[in-house]
Amino acid sequence: MEQSGTSALLQGAVQDLASDVVSALRGGDHVRMSGTGAMDDLEGSFALAAVRVLGADLLLPHVLFPTPPAPEALAVFRRTVEAFPPRADAAPTVKWSHWAMSRTLMRLDTSPVDTSPVDTSPVGAPAGNPTAEPDVAGWLDEATWQVLTHQLAVLAPLAVLGEDCAVARAAQRRPVDVARGFVRAVRRRDWQQAAGAGRWLTLLDGVPETLGLEAGLDFVELMGGSDPRVALQVQAARVMRAAGALV
Amino acid sequence: MPSIDKAIEDITGVRSDLEAALDPAEPDGVYRDSRECAALALLSADTKLLLSPPTPRPKKG
Repeated sequence: MEQSGTSALLQGAVQDLASDVVSALRGGDHVRMSGTGAMDDLEGSFALAAVRVLGADLLLPHVLFPTPPAPEALAVFRRTVEAFPPRADAAPTVKWSHWAMSRTLMRLDTSPVDTSPVDTSPVGAPAGNPTAEPDVAGWLDEATWQVLTHQLAVLAPLAVLGEDCAVARAAQRRPVDVARGFVRAVRRRDWQQAAGAGRWLTLLDGVPETLGLEAGLDFVELMGGSDPRVALQVQAARVMRAAGALV
Repeated sequence: MPSIDKAIEDITGVRSDLEAALDPAEPDGVYRDSRECAALALLSADTKLLLSPPTPRPKKG
């Protein structure tokens, strides 16, 4: 399928950021955030959009290790959360990915609260209650195992050790379906979906041992790891496994 | 003001691409080739996964 010019640029920017996150996950370093220097022009809007696409995973190294992010990285992250609030009729994945960013921001932003009398909301908090989960219920419970796996892979940034939310609980209720979806994604050579599903499976109880998840993730990395977004999911799964996840 | 129009058009494009990226449709599947099967066999040498060659057939004549 032919991509538009902006689509190719956006994807390139997302991949650059994903590479930075993979490096940070491997080396325990700060996320460098390539290309987010100029934020006031068209290039800047691409950079913010790229941060929005990568979502909460941008600061994943600082959640998993945990270390405080660089102030500049946190500022760009906060600005992105504020710049792209989901519309009321947005798809569930859009709402949940924005919620994940807001939640990460609340978790990591330790800067002093602005004490000006005008703005009394928490630093970085979008309008409303940022900790309230999106009002989207039952959509994953009613999904086929194929759709479930696809949606979970899109929402892979929510697959974080110790994170509790409706999406994580829905995944926990259907480990065999997610395992089937992982195998299907590998067979379809959809490495991004396979990597995202594999990351979820790392956190789930009741995954069939016959799945061979560890070898499967190695295979996904071998075949799709040249895409930084695939490498990010595989590396995230490895870090969480080392930190005490189930597989 | 063609440059401003172009900038608006580009930013609108970013917005639509962003929405597509946040709620992507599942891409069409592509199935494995023999090179990937060989790699999988190497990786799974010490696991329970079994990949076997085709059953030998007797030669005619």
